[in-house]
Amino acid sequence: MKFTFAPETRPLDGYTIKRAIHRGGFGEVYYALSDAGKEVALKLLNNNLDVELRGVSQCLNLKHPNLVTIFDIRQDADQDHWIVMEYVGGRGLHEVMQDHPAGMPVSEVLSWLSGITAGLSFLHDRGIVHRDLKPANVFSDDGIVKIGDVGLSKYISESRRSAQTQSVGTVYYMAPEVARGRYGREVDIYALGVMLVEMLTGHVPFDGETTAEILMKHLTADPDLSAVSPAIRPVLAAALEKDPSKRTGDADELERQFRLAVGQLSAKEFTFASAKPLPAADSSSRPAARENLNAALNRGRSVRERSMAGMAGTWEPTVRFWNERVPTPLKWIICGSLFLLIMESGVLRPVAAGGLVGGAAYLAWRAYLSIFGKSAPKSTGMAWYGEQSAAETAAVNLRPGQYDIPVSDGSVRQNRATVPQPILPSARTYTPVTVRRIPAGQKAVDITSSMSIALLAVVLVTTAVHLATDLLPQPAHVAFFGSVTLLAAWALIVPCKIWEGRPVDTVMRRLTLGSVGLGLGAVAWTIKEFLLLTDHALLHAGDGGMMRDIPGGRISIASPDGIPTIAGFMVFFGILFAARRWWWHIDSFRKSRFRVSSALFTLAVGAMLTVAMPFPEALGATWALAISAVVQLSAGWTPPEERSLLPAPDTRSATPSQAPARHPGTMAPRATT
Amino acid sequence: MLSGIMNMAAAIRTSGRTLPVNAEFSGRKMSPQTRRTVPMDTGWVTECERYMLWIDGVGAWQLCIGQNFLIGGPTLEHQSADICLLANISRKHAALQRIQEDWFIHPYQQTVVSGRTVADRSLLKSGDEIRLGERVRLGFRIPSVLSGSAVVDFESSHRPAQSVNGIILMTDTCLLGPRRDYHICCPEWPDLVVLFRQDGQLRCRSKMSLKVNEDRVRESAALNNGAIVTGDDFRFRIERLKNLNGT
Repeated sequence: MKFTFAPETRPLDGYTIKRAIHRGGFGEVYYALSDAGKEVALKLLNNNLDVELRGVSQCLNLKHPNLVTIFDIRQDADQDHWIVMEYVGGRGLHEVMQDHPAGMPVSEVLSWLSGITAGLSFLHDRGIVHRDLKPANVFSDDGIVKIGDVGLSKYISESRRSAQTQSVGTVYYMAPEVARGRYGREVDIYALGVMLVEMLTGHVPFDGETTAEILMKHLTADPDLSAVSPAIRPVLAAALEKDPSKRTGDADELERQFRLAVGQLSAKEFTFASAKPLPAADSSSRPAARENLNAALNRGRSVRERSMAGMAGTWEPTVRFWNERVPTPLKWIICGSLFLLIMESGVLRPVAAGGLVGGAAYLAWRAYLSIFGKSAPKSTGMAWYGEQSAAETAAVNLRPGQYDIPVSDGSVRQNRATVPQPILPSARTYTPVTVRRIPAGQKAVDITSSMSIALLAVVLVTTAVHLATDLLPQPAHVAFFGSVTLLAAWALIVPCKIWEGRPVDTVMRRLTLGSVGLGLGAVAWTIKEFLLLTDHALLHAGDGGMMRDIPGGRISIASPDGIPTIAGFMVFFGILFAARRWWWHIDSFRKSRFRVSSALFTLAVGAMLTVAMPFPEALGATWALAISAVVQLSAGWTPPEERSLLPAPDTRSATPSQAPARHPGTMAPRATT
Repeated sequence: MLSGIMNMAAAIRTSGRTLPVNAEFSGRKMSPQTRRTVPMDTGWVTECERYMLWIDGVGAWQLCIGQNFLIGGPTLEHQSADICLLANISRKHAALQRIQEDWFIHPYQQTVVSGRTVADRSLLKSGDEIRLGERVRLGFRIPSVLSGSAVVDFESSHRPAQSVNGIILMTDTCLLGPRRDYHICCPEWPDLVVLFRQDGQLRCRSKMSLKVNEDRVRESAALNNGAIVTGDDFRFRIERLKNLNGT
């Protein structure tokens, strides 16, 4: 490669060229140092044309972490124009692709994609079309994706004419309508689509011997996506649509669809995700403006902000893999199998088997839902959420500012003005401690539906325990276990749902639940007596129980033959209810519908209780797990993307109100506009 | 200046570190120039000679010539390490040493080599990962069987103050060319260019026709500070970095 300027020359005052970096479509690029030692890239423009410079001038003051910053445009003694820009030390996407001739790993594709999308969305939002997006223009500098050559792309046709000689590369990414002189932002979407195919497969979708052949394929041929996994194909096909008006609308939408498709590869959890958007909580209280916003967002223009900065931790990949790639039912099965292994010889073996069967049942139920439910929303109006790790949830947000939403309201416009803000007010993460007003009627509906679903869940769980373990051999056992579990779930759901949205007073709640537990213990004992259960295998507390020999005054918590008395039942349930923060299991704003960790922790609490006091180990631990499972499965839950608080209707009440919670198998009503 | 170094050397000597291989260093292939400087007990006999190689279309490499290479953090003083990284590490964190045919690392501060913490001088092999302090990670490799020179790659984001692609620890020769097992891989180059030292001079030779500062190279040619080497389709420039003790 020959370059015009030798090292150590100073075409521009103040900058010394150290070496040539490469020759791009628009001219030679040099690495130079300012007199003080600042590293810059100097780009010498070949064609000294006014329009071209106009393009760059427009972009001079754009600031975005994913765009290569332009510092200045200067003229040398020969009247040639130079662009002084940020030096990006990292490798170009085209170089990285060469390392992966058969395609890059999807996780890597996603990290490139999210950087490119962020930069591109920013440009599009500023009304600028890149027009020359290609792997050679995308770099990764210390993990931050940077798009280069912004504003230089007016002359695609120019570089196309010279394409035969030097930069054939450009035409690989050229949208068909460019041939007709149309340069909308769809051109960039098309290029991004081509790059995605190339990243995934290692080959561009339209290849040929000559420029003309490639151009012809862009215009006429359907892309060959057979090497891509079927779930992703429709997404890429939509991005590579010949007709720009049919193409994927914008970069965020493309990324969202792509992530969704990638998620489907691992059977991700979308069944509960839905079309309801987050209204920007405090953007405006004017219904008209909000409706417009809703309408726009409803068209599926939600996005997730991501930060690549924190991805370096040692555990991060493992945690991410577990959170994002392992489908929930599989997690259950893995956990169950692990448990089975660990507890091979222990008394908890039946419980572990129960978990395994429970997972399988859950999987079957999910499969049922996705087949027969009207759910499984695919491409429209739905924000996609991974299995929420805390950081992810916090990072998820909507950026209403990026779209041309026809809003006449000035205050909304103000909000939209600053796009790259990582967190907009609407991005708040709502948790069970969020104080909000829930209308009594809505609460009543929530409680009753949770209770009825609890009935189903109890049947499911009890059946699982019955089938998988030998804990409940006879119908009387099943009835005993099931009825107590159901009553316990109800006894937890009702007070916790009533508390929902109110300020949390932990001590009061624990005391209350503890007393409820005492009562439930008494009821459980009564049921046991009623069913005439004296089964030693089920109810014998073994010789464990540290409290066994502690004299309890006139009350003993276990009979001499090791069967817990009414006091034993009351103490067990009382402590179990007081020990866990059950309202976190039950609140509509809990982290996810079902948290395996919560269930396992409750199981541990139950197991510890049976160690501490004379209570049958297997029964106690299984009960704890079953109650936690039933409560979580049945209590109404609002997916994070639907968590919205409507402003209080009357100005006197400052507490915002909550949208209705959802129940398994039901879909939230789509917001109508 | 010299007396200052003597003082420093004396001070360091009292700290109790000795290096048995010193004598061997000063005897081997050392240029008069390098021999002139004072051996120090901390494990680096000399500051090495340091160059920058600016290669068009390829990148920038720091070329260190010597047998001992000190790695350290940034300092405002004159005396800084041969490989000076902008990193939260000690000013004298570790030294890389070439002893006969082998490479050793001599840790002064917390150093981990391929997962094991090293407290004393340890053998390095090609492909080792060197971790300095908590976060700095460097790759160590000896790419070519034709040369004992090593390459230090940056695996974490810690670099010298200016962007360099890597650091060549040159003990005999440095190979530039299209193959991956050269010290600097220049994919577009037609053939190999060898940098080597002779009589205290850095020189280059190649089977291709080369020009150094517009003069055609016969056998080999000396590369002075600022020399520009041009081939048919490539170009690079060599720049002497100021040695930190002023030489």
